[in-house]
Amino acid sequence: MTTQEVTTERISSTAQIARHPIHPMLVPFPIVCFIGALVTDIAYYATANIMWADFSSWLLVIGVIMGIIAAAAGLIDFLSNRLIRAQPAAWAHLAGNLLMLVLAFFNALIHQRDGWTSVVPVGLSLSIIVVLILPVTGWLGWALVYRHGVGVAR
Amino acid sequence: MTPQCSQFFRSAVLLTSLLGLAGCNDGSGDPKAQIGANPTLPDVRQFLFPPMHIAHVVGWKKGETPSVPKGLKIEALATGLQHPRMLYSLPNGDVLVVESKAPQADPVTRPKQIIMKYIESWATSGGDTGPSNRITLLRDTNGDGVADTPSVFLDHLNSPFGVVLVGNDLYVANTDAIVKYPYKLGDTKISAPGETLTQLPGGPIDHHWTKSLTASPDGSLLYVGVGSNSNITENGMEAEKNRAAILEVDRATGRSRIFASGLRNPNGLTFEPQSGALWAVVNERDEIGPDLVPDYMTSVKDGAFYGWPYSYYGQHVDPRVQPQRPDLVAKAIPPDYALSSHVAPLGLAFYTGTNLPESYRNGAFVGEHGSWNRQQLNGYKVVFVPFNNGKPSGMAQDVVTGFLDGNNEARGRPVGLAVDKSGALLIADDVGNTVWRVTGGGGTSPAAKL
Repeated sequence: MTTQEVTTERISSTAQIARHPIHPMLVPFPIVCFIGALVTDIAYYATANIMWADFSSWLLVIGVIMGIIAAAAGLIDFLSNRLIRAQPAAWAHLAGNLLMLVLAFFNALIHQRDGWTSVVPVGLSLSIIVVLILPVTGWLGWALVYRHGVGVAR
Repeated sequence: MTPQCSQFFRSAVLLTSLLGLAGCNDGSGDPKAQIGANPTLPDVRQFLFPPMHIAHVVGWKKGETPSVPKGLKIEALATGLQHPRMLYSLPNGDVLVVESKAPQADPVTRPKQIIMKYIESWATSGGDTGPSNRITLLRDTNGDGVADTPSVFLDHLNSPFGVVLVGNDLYVANTDAIVKYPYKLGDTKISAPGETLTQLPGGPIDHHWTKSLTASPDGSLLYVGVGSNSNITENGMEAEKNRAAILEVDRATGRSRIFASGLRNPNGLTFEPQSGALWAVVNERDEIGPDLVPDYMTSVKDGAFYGWPYSYYGQHVDPRVQPQRPDLVAKAIPPDYALSSHVAPLGLAFYTGTNLPESYRNGAFVGEHGSWNRQQLNGYKVVFVPFNNGKPSGMAQDVVTGFLDGNNEARGRPVGLAVDKSGALLIADDVGNTVWRVTGGGGTSPAAKL
């Protein structure tokens, strides 16, 4: 077996539809929602217009729900394929995203408060931390696909 | 929501409490320390999941009544009503029962509202099924303390609450307008169309919808309580126009002005008989702790500002309101008498009759609908606050209790109060669907005999 063959070896995804892995289909939802919530939090901080805080609240709740579904698909892949578990990047990707989801969940609870303190200062801070985690775990996730070929058909 | 779903949600709430987000002990202090002129006020606390405990409604079984102290007697004047909320005693002894349901729910602007609405549905009242939003007439022809068959007096109202009679004009405060009807003493039904005196702040957002109503002693002015459109401005300040205020309405022209403001949800508007001052009971803000903010009763001064939303109990600033208004906070005055936190006072009646024993003859009864925003239930009773020279002069005493059973389930919840022609205290019980009548019975008072 040549080195060339090893790097192109297929690491299949278990949660898939017609060999299209589900996890990468779903991850854009929480990513966009959490970035959006940071933007609307900043807008509320700047204007005190309650409409922006309402947007943040919806974005966080939808982001958490879609994040949990995406995580479930990812976890199925992770648990059912030894070759995925063998990737250190997969473990870091999982741990980082779990932390992010927990923080986003608490952030959604904070955003259920009424008025200014639903966002400032704790809500806005959590929104920033969550968005800072995103590129790190995202990078690791992309590494799994582009470098290690997880879920890549050929 | 399906039963499975509901099971899941309850489990989720339980899990949340196990995680310590909403402990069963919410750290609340002695509710009695928050009764009187100088309540203790803890620091503001904010929550991931605010403490919530709503008494599940079980209703009254046959023969059950609330409890009263020795020397008093309580009986049902009428049962089987549809969410009775307010009472009005007519000069001939007839009693009007305002049966009222909340208007359409506030438009959903946040996921929180969906969850809160569901949790509140655990405490559903019996008034959700039958026809409501009407006024029923109770007449006790034979004076046995039980009303004849209740008859519909005025129907097809819009979430009515306050009623007041001035001469031959009967005013009903719907949630969106004060409407005038012609009335002659002894009438048992009004079929004439009403005439709108003035519009009131109503929907589409109509968060605190009960419009309490009274008339000045000379009958020239009406006073109407308009509650805030949010807990603490989370629907935006535009939604609060002419709200959290008592409006004064000229009876002749319908022109109105803000008489006093900063009163989050004022109810039970009544003129105190000795001083002639206007009094109200006020529901204060939620979700900053089990002991904040005490609800209160207060004389209402012309032009005064009582803090909402910017501050509470005078000048304690609420951090949830932005932009803050130090200029208004500086003007905020504290109310007269705290009733303890989250008791939800909705009814107020000054007692000037002679039916009840001597000890109740100078003071005010307050109907406390009961708490949801703390673990230890508070309120769910009618208390008596003694007065001297037109001012509260002592500790509130429990008078009518037993609305909660031994399992902290609600058999009923008191709302509006009235004193009938014989001097008996009447209590509207909106989830027990009953009007209770308290007399100085037990043979201790000769006046008890009608």
